[in-house]
Amino acid sequence: MSTPSISQDIMTNLGNSPGISLALFLGGLIGAVAFMAIAGLILIYAERKICAHFQCRLGPMRVGWHGILQSVADTIKLLMKEDIVPYAADKFMHALAPIVALAAALMTLIAIPMSAKITLADSNIGVLYISAISGIGVLGILLGGWSSNNKWSMLGAMRAGAQIISYELSATLSILAIVMLSGSLKISTIIQSQEAGWWIWRAPVVGLVAFLSFLISSTAEVNRTPFDLAEGESELAAGFHTEYSGMRFAFFFLAEYLNLFIVSALGATLFLGGWMPFHLGEWTMFNQIMDLIPQSIWFLGKTSFMIFVSMWFRWTFPRLRVDQLMKLEWKVLLPIGFVNLLLCAFMTLFGFYFFSTTTRGF
Amino acid sequence: MKTIIAERPFEGNFFSKVIFGFKSLIKGMGITFGYLVHPSTVVTQQYPENRKTLKISDRARNQLVFNLDENNYHKCTACHICEQQCPNGSIHVLERKKPASAKVELDTFIWRLDSCTFCNVCVMVCPFQVLKMTQDFESSVFDQKLLIYNLTPYAGPTSTVLNKIVEPEERKKMIEPRGQYSGPTALAGFHIAGISKQVFQETEQRKDQK
Repeated sequence: MSTPSISQDIMTNLGNSPGISLALFLGGLIGAVAFMAIAGLILIYAERKICAHFQCRLGPMRVGWHGILQSVADTIKLLMKEDIVPYAADKFMHALAPIVALAAALMTLIAIPMSAKITLADSNIGVLYISAISGIGVLGILLGGWSSNNKWSMLGAMRAGAQIISYELSATLSILAIVMLSGSLKISTIIQSQEAGWWIWRAPVVGLVAFLSFLISSTAEVNRTPFDLAEGESELAAGFHTEYSGMRFAFFFLAEYLNLFIVSALGATLFLGGWMPFHLGEWTMFNQIMDLIPQSIWFLGKTSFMIFVSMWFRWTFPRLRVDQLMKLEWKVLLPIGFVNLLLCAFMTLFGFYFFSTTTRGF
Repeated sequence: MKTIIAERPFEGNFFSKVIFGFKSLIKGMGITFGYLVHPSTVVTQQYPENRKTLKISDRARNQLVFNLDENNYHKCTACHICEQQCPNGSIHVLERKKPASAKVELDTFIWRLDSCTFCNVCVMVCPFQVLKMTQDFESSVFDQKLLIYNLTPYAGPTSTVLNKIVEPEERKKMIEPRGQYSGPTALAGFHIAGISKQVFQETEQRKDQK
């Protein structure tokens, strides 16, 4: 059913020796790290440019053409900066925290398929893996905030912890709706199940509600405005990364933008079909025309759209208060999510969505 | 008097609140999207490159200058009101005795850019509208001493007196030219080379007598 990935291709052709497994592992790792660094640079530049134009500004204009080398220059600056560790900090934890944050982002990144061929790890519990590992990112924030020995860092970290525990629920509930509809936790199967159409519109209303719920809760999970209480520069200096400088700060910064990419890619994969081109049921002619556009272009386009929406949110909405944040999750999003899940269950049971092939479940 | 009543927060049931919230969020997103797709709304100016086409607000207050008429004559009578009202003591009005009379006229008008806060009080209190603020903001120099200016182009009577005199030679006799850095400076020991302290001291003595 699913197209074999590159690693599977090579495996079947060359046999399953330990040396080749190791080479594949290292190649994948290097590829993921390189992708991470480049994606981080591009995202930071895009964010600065887009936010500037949202606010009637120009953004970076001086380094390179329209400031295109600005994030490279910033990276060099951060690399050469002095790495200050507070005297009373827990040195080991302080050093560990940014690595944990970045490692969690990297581990999530490898589970996201960019096309039918470019798939690093296609586990049969892919969605579960992503929801579990992305939660580790907050461990980095908690560690960093606690080990800095600074009240603002501590408060920011505690806020981040409380926020992520709350919003994981809504995110998971909306993911569950898609898991139910596609009948699998494996990401490649979920994408394949959207061959007749993306879940956002194929499951009427339910898909859209789940998508909006996922959008809100994933914005909260990556600590972006309007949910950036963990940083809250007007209240907490810089929140959990107040005491970080130089390369360690850069790690946190990079992890933040990678998480943005990951949740956007996940949203695109689950609700907008991932690398699956825009198909309409049995309209073979239309589907074939859509197939002419490469899968990775579809994936990148959808992910860019999701990232743009996230940035749009960030530079439009004001920050929530802590009590408003909790109220939004527990009193609004969670009830809506549960009702939506229930409706989705009925919909799946009776095959009540567009282009439903079978009455699966009976 | 008109009473302004604050808008009440939206009331309604759960769903109408959620829908109201979504509507207002989408409205806000529409506004920011409008800014994004219309580059004409950008207010940032690329300053050193666009020096010639720079747009500065008419209300910008960057440099204090004299209002001069077509003959380069001012209306300052050396009344000292601006000097008294200046909150930072940035203005020093130095006067000289009018020939053949007990009255005084303006000698030098010293303005200290380095201590000025551009509060515009001197412009507002002047009874003859002598002073004005201009948009010329490039006032950086390499020596703090150069930030102490003389604003008047000449020492002598006001334009009302001068313009009544027909003979140009007569006018020239009544006035003495002053440059931007001529005349004494107001700060003790902060003198520019080649300028005497005498006029400054004379003015101070006259003020004490009053």
